[in-house]
Amino acid sequence: MIGLVSAPQTGLNFDALMRTHQSMVFSLAYHFLHDREVAEEVAQEVFLSLHRNLKSIQSESHAGFWLRKVAVQRAIDEGRRRARRPQVALEDVAEPSTHDAQQDPLLRDRLRRLIATLPESPRAVMILRYQEDLDPAEIAEILSMPVATVKSHLQRSLALLREKLARRSMGEV
Amino acid sequence: MDWLEEELKQALDRKAPSPDFAERVRRRTRGDGFRTALWPQRWLAAAAVVLVMTGAGLGYRQYQGNQAKEQMMMAFRIAGEKVNHIQVQVKERTR
Repeated sequence: MIGLVSAPQTGLNFDALMRTHQSMVFSLAYHFLHDREVAEEVAQEVFLSLHRNLKSIQSESHAGFWLRKVAVQRAIDEGRRRARRPQVALEDVAEPSTHDAQQDPLLRDRLRRLIATLPESPRAVMILRYQEDLDPAEIAEILSMPVATVKSHLQRSLALLREKLARRSMGEV
Repeated sequence: MDWLEEELKQALDRKAPSPDFAERVRRRTRGDGFRTALWPQRWLAAAAVVLVMTGAGLGYRQYQGNQAKEQMMMAFRIAGEKVNHIQVQVKERTR
């Protein structure tokens, strides 16, 4: 049974790792690609890769770090390969005609769509920050980029989102 | 953390994959294991094919070499017979 597959030195169990991390891996891919079917395919590939590399995983926390890193990288690769949705600048996304942003039932869906239109790096940074609740140093390690760049992506993306939402509110007064 | 960041956290919360996700991965890992197990056999088969083709190639080249050798020997024999014939005729005329 594949469920009994474990790394001999660490005793890590593949099935247990999959149970623990499947939502995290799937959600990273889903929020990045904004396509459930494609995200499931990417998540499967990530776990297949984990299965092949289980011997190199040293601990539970290492598995989490490894899965986040591979999931983001695979999602980026898949996004490039498919190029299903050409990237749209945040400023170019159409304004919905609803009222108070904080009471907008569609706000979260709108935020998800706005995140999905960000360029690769800021998108990955935002998803790791707000889905995984990671701090900039952890995000920098996963994405192999300087902490300052991570902070810059966060600030600029948040500013763009605020501007977008403020512009919408003003347009409705 | 302000309201926008709170909203972002809610918007980007974790979602569960489809219920059969884990089972589909398990099926694929079994296939993966099966393919991995077949690797040595595939390598052996490929090596055997390469060996047979190399052997056949060498054999064919040897056959071609033998053929050429036989043709050359025959050409020498014919040429020798002609030379002998000419020598005999020359001797008869000089007598």
